[in-house]
Amino acid sequence: MGSVSGTCAIVGVGTSRFGKLQGVSAMGFTIEASKRAIEDAGIERDALDGVLVMMPAVMGEQHGWAARVAAYLGIEPTFSATMDMGGATACGSVQTAVAAIEAGYCNAVLCCFATQNWPQGVAMQLFGSEFQVPYGDVGAITLMGHIKRRQQHEYGVRDEHYGRIAVTWREHAQRNPDAQMRKAMTLDDYFRSRWVAEPLRLFDCCPNTDGGGACIVTSLERSRDLAKRPARILGAGQSHSSEMIHPTGRDAPAIGGRVAADKAFGGAGVRPGDIDVAQFYDAFTPRVIHDLIAYGFCAPADVGDFIAAGNLDFGGALPSNTAGGLISEGHLSGFGHIREAVRQLRGEAAERQIPKAELCLVTGYGGAPHEAPPTVSYSALILAR
Amino acid sequence: MFGVEKPLPRPSEDSAPFWENALRGELRMQRCSDCGHVRFPPALLCARCLSERSEWVRLSGRGMVYSWIVVHQSQHPAFNADVPYNVAIVELEEGPRLHTNIVGCTNDQIHIGMPVEVVFEKVNDDTALVKFRPRRA
Repeated sequence: MGSVSGTCAIVGVGTSRFGKLQGVSAMGFTIEASKRAIEDAGIERDALDGVLVMMPAVMGEQHGWAARVAAYLGIEPTFSATMDMGGATACGSVQTAVAAIEAGYCNAVLCCFATQNWPQGVAMQLFGSEFQVPYGDVGAITLMGHIKRRQQHEYGVRDEHYGRIAVTWREHAQRNPDAQMRKAMTLDDYFRSRWVAEPLRLFDCCPNTDGGGACIVTSLERSRDLAKRPARILGAGQSHSSEMIHPTGRDAPAIGGRVAADKAFGGAGVRPGDIDVAQFYDAFTPRVIHDLIAYGFCAPADVGDFIAAGNLDFGGALPSNTAGGLISEGHLSGFGHIREAVRQLRGEAAERQIPKAELCLVTGYGGAPHEAPPTVSYSALILAR
Repeated sequence: MFGVEKPLPRPSEDSAPFWENALRGELRMQRCSDCGHVRFPPALLCARCLSERSEWVRLSGRGMVYSWIVVHQSQHPAFNADVPYNVAIVELEEGPRLHTNIVGCTNDQIHIGMPVEVVFEKVNDDTALVKFRPRRA
């Protein structure tokens, strides 16, 4: 049973300035990105009656965040929520927007987010549980180190495969004038980069990014009056589970996200082999390995060879993270991925354009990897021109 | 940064028995009185069968390393002086996994599947952390 029925589309995308940009507030970035998405769609501001906003990280609890975003934009929505799925929120909020439109709660939804990593006037909050932080296990990065360790142990993935992902994304970012990390990088550079949480190297990790992103979802019918070719939302899926530590015991599913994949592909009526271009949620390189397996592109034993064969490159069978990904374009929590997917489907990706981009997969991943038990959310969209 | 203290557990009603037992030198977790599942982290109910009945049973303290990493870039100032240090996930014989540190060996001696046993590292009068050291298989 599919989770969406192809009745809606993404009609506008935008990002704010992004990079190392202290001094701009998360709210400032949010409304800047939203304004650009509104302009890109060519939609009247007053036509927006839904607002979904990802809860900002770093700043701790934020009451009424989505309603405040709406107020700054002069919108009085009939449907609004602040969503908390971490890096799975971008795709998840689009899925929620479709559900709200199909239910008749609203007609056009702004989905948006921003982060300021060094917010002014806000005390930094130490995240993490009493079963992790006292052992020096702090932040999301340690879990990702464990995930890389287990991938190497279980699937035989080698460091050169992770390095190939990082180098490929950097090559893609060099064709993206907005990307945060554009300096040329070789596999030797990857191997020389320092350990952060061994086996995780610096170049396995995305940078911290201050900035925001947004997209606008409306019905296909409504999209015909707007400025650009709509990106039809063919499929969507999500699943939520614990990772590494399972309260139900060690018989928990071996790989998370399979259910999100099945729902997205099943709803769209397409298969992994049909995908022309993919945007994998890649805050760290092991995420790409995970998604290649969970979304059915590779058997676990083949994933290293699949990458080494160049399949993720521009000329490969599955050109991926064509704007550079979180790792080189910058960490816009997946809204950069949605923008790039829509641009590819519209044929707007300039020197990054994939020749026959008709079907694009976007994945999301996030949650509370630093809590006990570590919990993660998976989300996916299948978009079509 | 100078003078930043390491964060210590601030137990809740659910977790207090775990830490009190650790201070006494015992590794105990909740075993469901209905389905027998041993659970971690501590919780009001069993995630397998939703029973609220449980008892804090003493575990063998034996397990094996499921995964380990070495932190080189500290994510919190209290740990800046400790890098490089390991963080491991240990899988206990009884099933549950927990985050911990491996002590009593160098980081490069740690490997997946390494047999380990529990040790209790007293931090102050109120708290002992649950760590593991190598054991003979």
